[in-house]
Amino acid sequence: MDYIKEIITIVLAALFTNNIVLNRSLGICPFLGVSKKLNSALGMGFAVIFVVTLSTLITYILYLYLLVPFQLEYLQIIMFILIIASMVQVIEIVFKRFVPTLYNSMGVYLPLITTNCVILATAQDSIGWGYDLFQVLLNSFFIGAGFLLALILMSGVRERIEKSDIPKPFRGFPIALLTAGLISMAFIAIGTLVFF
Amino acid sequence: MDIFMIFILPAVIMLALALLIGLGLSYMDMKLTVVRDPKIEETLKLLSGANCGGCGYPGCSAYAQALAEGKADLSACNPTSKANKDSIAVLLGLASSGEETVAVVHCSGGNKCKDKYQYQGYGDCKSAQLLADGVKACAVGCMELGTCASSCKYNAISLKQTDGYAFVDHDKCTSCGACLSACPKKLLSRIPKSAKVYLACSNSCSGKDVAAICKAGCISCGKCEKSCNFDAVKLVAGLPVFDYTKCTACMACAKVCPRRVIFTK
Repeated sequence: MDYIKEIITIVLAALFTNNIVLNRSLGICPFLGVSKKLNSALGMGFAVIFVVTLSTLITYILYLYLLVPFQLEYLQIIMFILIIASMVQVIEIVFKRFVPTLYNSMGVYLPLITTNCVILATAQDSIGWGYDLFQVLLNSFFIGAGFLLALILMSGVRERIEKSDIPKPFRGFPIALLTAGLISMAFIAIGTLVFF
Repeated sequence: MDIFMIFILPAVIMLALALLIGLGLSYMDMKLTVVRDPKIEETLKLLSGANCGGCGYPGCSAYAQALAEGKADLSACNPTSKANKDSIAVLLGLASSGEETVAVVHCSGGNKCKDKYQYQGYGDCKSAQLLADGVKACAVGCMELGTCASSCKYNAISLKQTDGYAFVDHDKCTSCGACLSACPKKLLSRIPKSAKVYLACSNSCSGKDVAAICKAGCISCGKCEKSCNFDAVKLVAGLPVFDYTKCTACMACAKVCPRRVIFTK
C-alpha cells in the first residue's frame, strides 16, 4: 500500500505540485522559445518526454553499475551530460529520417533540449531521491509529461495573446514572462492541496 | 586508493564511453542520414547562416533549397557576402548573383500635400491608416507617423519635420525588408544600390487630380520619358518606371521634371 502511495505521489508531484517548469523554474529556455504555436509545442513536448525517459534510464543504469562500484560518483555530471547530448543527436538523426516535417518545424529547438536543465535535473533526481528502476522510469516520464502540460497551457494562452492589443513595451517576451509567472502562481496553489 | 584507481580508471571509463557513443552516432549518421542534393548542402555552406528570415524563408536551409529549385532570388539575402553570392550563382547556374539593393520611399509630398484631418491619437501610420484611409488627401501619401522608422533596426529611416515624409539613409540601409512590410500604404520598395534615380511619388491618378492635392506629386506629363536618350524611362499607368539596366545616370529626366519628383541618390 505504501508503495502505491509512493507511486501516486511521484506521478502527481511530477505533473502538478513540482512541475519542472512552473514550480521548479527549470527548462525555461525551450519553454519560452517553442510555446508560440500549439503544433511546435506538442512536438517539442513529445521529444522531451522521449529524451528524458531514455536518458534517465541509461544514466541511472550507468551510474549504478559503473560509477558507484568504482566510487566515481563525482563524475556524474560529466557523464550525464555526455549521455544526454548524444541522446539528442540520436533523436535529431531519427527525426530527420523518419518525420521530416516535424524536424523542419522545430529543427532549431532540438539542440535546446540538450542544454535544457530539465534532463540533467531529472537524471540527478533519481540518484538524490534513491528511487528504484520502476520509480525512476515513472518519475522521468511524468516530468516530461509535466513539461508538455506546461507547454500546452502556455502556447494556448500565447496564441490568444498574439491577437490582443498589448501595450508596446510589453510585446513579445515581457508579456510571455508575465503569463508564465501567473500560471506558475496557479500551480503553486495546487501544491497546497492535500491528498492523503 | 592507488594511482590507478584515482586517476587512470576514471579517465579510461570516460574515454571508453565517449568512443562508444561517438562510433554509435557515426554509424547511425551513415545509415539513417537523408541524402539531399549535394548542391543544396554546398549552397548552405556558402550562405551566411544567420537564419534571420529576411529572405522570407524559415531559415537558411529552406532558402538554400528554394534557390536550388529556382524559386528564390539571391538578392533577397543580405547577410551573405558578395563573393559567396557569386560562388552560389556559379554553383547553381543562376543568371545573376543578386543585386545589392536599398529601400526607398516613393513619396515626397509630406508638407506639400494637403491633409484630410489632423491626427491626434494613439499609435502611428498603421493606426491613422484605419481612420478614413490616412491623414493625407492623397491615398498613397506618406503620413510621417513613423511606422517604418520604428521597424528599422539600423536606424536608417529619418523623419524630417521640415519635409514631412520619411527618408531612407542609403549608407545605413541593409535592405532587410522590415520597412517594406511595415508601411501600411506600401510606399517603400527595393531598388538597386547602383541606381541613381528613383520616382518619389506613388500616385497614378491624372495630373489634374494630383496637382489639386499635392504640390510635389507626379502629374504624368511624360517629359522624363521624352528626355531619356537611352529608352530607360517609360510611363506605365501614369507613373514613370525606370529600367535600371539601361539607365546611364545622365540625370536628364530629373532635370527636366517640372514637379522635381524624380529624386537622385
